[in-house]
Amino acid sequence: MAAFFVRRVLQGIVVVALVATIVFLLIHAAPGDPFAAAMEDPSITESVRQTWRHAYGLDRPIGEQYLRYVANVFRGDLGFSISRQRPVVSALADALPNTLLLMTLGLIGGFALGISVAVVQVRHRGKALDRILGGVSLAFFAVPDFWLALLVLVSLTSWLHFPIGGAVDPVMYDFLTPWGRFVDRVRHLFLPALTLSLLYFPIIARHQRASLMEVLPSEYITTARAKGVDERTLIRHHAMRNALLPVITILGVAFPALLTGAVFIEKVFSWPGMGFLIVSSIQGRDYPLLTAAVILGAVFVVVGSLLADALYRLLDPRLRDER
Amino acid sequence: MDVEKVRRQLVAPVRIFIVRSVTFVALLAACSGGESPRSDTPTGGTLVISVGGDPETLLPPIATTTTAQIIGDLVYDRLAEIGDSLNTVGDSGFHPRLAEAWEWAADSLSVTFRMNPRARWHDGVPVRSSDVVFTYRLYSDSLNGSPYAVALADVDSVTAPDSLTATIWFRERSPMQFYDAVNTMSILPAHVLGNVRGPALRSSPLSRAPIGSGRFRFVKWSAAQSIELAADTANYRRRPNLDRVIITIAPDMNTALARLAGGEADMLEQIPAASVANIAKDTSMRVLLTNGLDYNFIQFNLSDPGFPSRAHRLFGDRELRRALTLALDRASIVQNAYDSLADVAIGPTVRAYPTTDPSLRQLAFSRDAAIRTLDSLGWKDSNNDGVRERNGVRLEFSLSVPTSSKARVAMAELIQEQFRRVGAKVNIDALDIPAFVDLQNRRRFDAVIGGWHVEPSPGGVRQTWGSRGAQTSGSNYGSYRNSAFDAQVDSALAANTLEERRSHFSRAYQIIIDDAPAIWLAEPKRVMAVHKRIRTVGLRPDAWWANIAEWSIPASERIARDRIATGR
Amino acid sequence: MNADTPFVIAGYARRGRRWLGRDRSARFAVILLAVISVVCFLAPLTAPHDPNFQPDIVKLRNAPPSVEYPMGNDQASRDVLSRLLYGGRLSLTVALLATLVSVTVGTAYGAAAGYATGFVSTILERILDALLAIPRLLLLIVIFAARRDMPIGGFILILGVTGWYALARLVRGQVLALKAQDFVASAKALGATRMRILTRHILPNVVSPVIVAAMLGLGHVIVLEAGLSWLGIGVRSPDASWGNMIQDGSASLDQMATSWWIAFFPGIAIVLTVVAFNVLGDALLKALSPRQSGIE
Repeated sequence: MAAFFVRRVLQGIVVVALVATIVFLLIHAAPGDPFAAAMEDPSITESVRQTWRHAYGLDRPIGEQYLRYVANVFRGDLGFSISRQRPVVSALADALPNTLLLMTLGLIGGFALGISVAVVQVRHRGKALDRILGGVSLAFFAVPDFWLALLVLVSLTSWLHFPIGGAVDPVMYDFLTPWGRFVDRVRHLFLPALTLSLLYFPIIARHQRASLMEVLPSEYITTARAKGVDERTLIRHHAMRNALLPVITILGVAFPALLTGAVFIEKVFSWPGMGFLIVSSIQGRDYPLLTAAVILGAVFVVVGSLLADALYRLLDPRLRDER
Repeated sequence: MDVEKVRRQLVAPVRIFIVRSVTFVALLAACSGGESPRSDTPTGGTLVISVGGDPETLLPPIATTTTAQIIGDLVYDRLAEIGDSLNTVGDSGFHPRLAEAWEWAADSLSVTFRMNPRARWHDGVPVRSSDVVFTYRLYSDSLNGSPYAVALADVDSVTAPDSLTATIWFRERSPMQFYDAVNTMSILPAHVLGNVRGPALRSSPLSRAPIGSGRFRFVKWSAAQSIELAADTANYRRRPNLDRVIITIAPDMNTALARLAGGEADMLEQIPAASVANIAKDTSMRVLLTNGLDYNFIQFNLSDPGFPSRAHRLFGDRELRRALTLALDRASIVQNAYDSLADVAIGPTVRAYPTTDPSLRQLAFSRDAAIRTLDSLGWKDSNNDGVRERNGVRLEFSLSVPTSSKARVAMAELIQEQFRRVGAKVNIDALDIPAFVDLQNRRRFDAVIGGWHVEPSPGGVRQTWGSRGAQTSGSNYGSYRNSAFDAQVDSALAANTLEERRSHFSRAYQIIIDDAPAIWLAEPKRVMAVHKRIRTVGLRPDAWWANIAEWSIPASERIARDRIATGR
Repeated sequence: MNADTPFVIAGYARRGRRWLGRDRSARFAVILLAVISVVCFLAPLTAPHDPNFQPDIVKLRNAPPSVEYPMGNDQASRDVLSRLLYGGRLSLTVALLATLVSVTVGTAYGAAAGYATGFVSTILERILDALLAIPRLLLLIVIFAARRDMPIGGFILILGVTGWYALARLVRGQVLALKAQDFVASAKALGATRMRILTRHILPNVVSPVIVAAMLGLGHVIVLEAGLSWLGIGVRSPDASWGNMIQDGSASLDQMATSWWIAFFPGIAIVLTVVAFNVLGDALLKALSPRQSGIE
């Protein structure tokens, strides 16, 4: 296990460095590089610009700039966000918990919905309901996430008056009671989390259905059936436990990817997470923020898949010794 | 305050029927009376205003966005404030602020202000005449690059005979000399800014955290989220009725509208045409319609974006600009984007100014004429790709739009297509407000769909279209320069009768229309949505926020956020 | 290609026809895809109007579906149906070409990684693992946001070049498994070079999982391109793509509620197309997976 960890961590560092490099190259080729705004401001005199260039090392050869950049990244200095007027790290630190919260709730919702759908499908396997639910699953799997988010937004806000924009009421939050704060957060979370759940339940339903169907004919289920346990209980207690393992692999795939999947959802609902930062920095030409968010995204993917793999190995001893 | 409700016809497509008989003058007449303090109104309440983007700075001399102006007018004071009648001639239309009273010298070349001894900065330091001198220096110092320095060109100097007396000296007499000097300057604290000059101003603490003498105090600014102001309870003029004013930032219009509908915001200062019907249905909202004193346009950059001393590869050519103007069906474009909520703009002015003659000769829409002119100028599509070329230069350019204005984004798509029909290729570049403002400031554009919210005096064109505004820190982003235009504007501002002024402005406007440094698009009306419980007063057409300190929320109608105790 | 290849392909075709006949949903998916493809690729013939033409920006703005404009008009009075067809042509072309790039690069890399031995194989595998960890959407966002004036060819290339990793891993796994098979050993005994074995014996057997992966990948790229266009960094106006049509139609909540047709039809088009690709991919997977070892 230790060797596994070491290998994966090293690999992760390589990945992050790779992403940081790509991003560095792109930014220095981009028209609006981090200092262009100030550098090209005609009201700033040439001598001031020279001083700034020197201070930020922009007059050094690009190789040296690159090394400095990578060193900064690994040190945690990710630059200054023009649109947020504070260090990028600070803006990211505020946004990341929001995305994590949304992701977690979306996943939980997706699992709950997915497992329920799968159970219903298996109980009615082969019949119309099974196929209908399968079709519905497929439709939700194929739907573009931003389009679904827009549909949810249009249909539900006009009826149900859920607030959107921000994680909390910008004015009132500080003055609410703890219960009030909780309710406020839930109200803002509801629509984006619902959309995420709708997007993720198809994969889970599909896998769960498949694994349930696989497990059902197995020996010990037959034994339980012979003992007189009814089908519903069978499915719920016995089959589920065994079938949950593949679900964890889904988690391993879904968790790292969820950060990118939330990009469009956050934009539509103005949920102030990483995805929203990324999208708003596009229109705001805030390249330091954009690149830092992408690098953080890569770190997240690496960590997420590492955790997922580790968890999988822990749970299934058969895999522990495999390369 | 005469409130104009918007009625709508019930069928789709949604159309708003507006009572057009309410003219600018009628509104003005009805909008008076905002000056008398209402001592009987119990204080309290929080007003939440939703805007489309962060201001670039909160320091008035270098701020250009409307949001910055709103906050600046609430936090800072002028020596005197123009009344709701917006009379810019002489000083009779002005009310005392930091100056209790003023006296003219016999030759009218100077005016002496007696400062209100009770006036204090929000940090407790008394306001003194040295602050006035300091403010004048800050605005007029060319190193600071204030776009408003142009308006102070007629001021010779400002002196302070004693700590409570300030005298403004003029180079020459003119009808608007008082307005120019007094309306331009928001008085700033000398003891806070000290010797800061030049680019360092933008990063000075006062740029992010203003300290003024106005009836509202600055509390905090969370970038991209909100700016909070609180009542200055010890203000030398009576404290405002409201406890707090919060400006929330929602660059996405859907979010802004949802916040309004959900009760998280109280007002939106510009509702897109498509949403008016829906908001009118909402019984908790009032929709207010005013002539907004705004106009927008396609502004060509007459200089090369990379090398400002060179002419633009396309737009340095007057004939090309005129030909492109002929290609646009402006009336249809404006109607598509605004429904009936905007007029077609005439020039760098608004119909509300009495000095504007709406019958000026325009470059009339004619696609055929545009095509013929382009042909005759030598622009030919030699390789049949739909885009004309001349001497190796393609008739292709970028058009930048701020995403916060749905109407401008919609117009951009229509403009792109209409230019395509005459062989010009347009690439639309959408950015949010701070990036857009930055682009304009740096003159790094080919063409933008820009807009101005005009001031009470038509003399504002000096900054936005005059040669003096074309310098690198000015607001004449397209670098249009025409001395004949400048001369006519100056003559107009020096004229003593309305007829004379009108005639000179007409000549000036005709010159600029003929030169076509911009294609004048729309003069949108201002459609605001305000929560019912807010009692608005004194909605000045040029600055609806001017009298926010007099707005109130009756105790019986307060909601949760009004009742928050402001311990700050 | 060797002498056996035509028989291999014929074998697949026979098998394919057989399950098509059996699997109703797969048949439906194929028909749907065929219809969509034909109708979209022949857009110059099938579209009733020019997709960028703005007939009457005043009277036809946001007009609801009518006889002349069956799917209504958008804010600029353009015909939604025509834009849908031309947009489909563009979106599908982009997806196909990008997937082609991905398949080519991925197969080549996967084959090399699988067939190579020792140090080279390990290196290639490690690089692949690293590449797989890069978040694709974020990377694409950075690339296209930084370079806004990208021509369509570059767009397709970059989409393709960021999407071959999973396929490469799949191919590598397949090649590894096939390497150990008997027929490879016998070919080696007969004196065939490694290259020959790879191209003539192993690769033809890799075709089926690659096709399945390509199908699923196509659907993924369509959604990806739509998303990037919706953000404004994909296909730029006035060119229509399903993604930027949704952007046009989602300019405001009120517009979406009252002029729903502008954003609705492109979304449905995407759903139908991606569902069809997924159903087809699944069916192919079912049909082809149990028998993977060797040729028929």
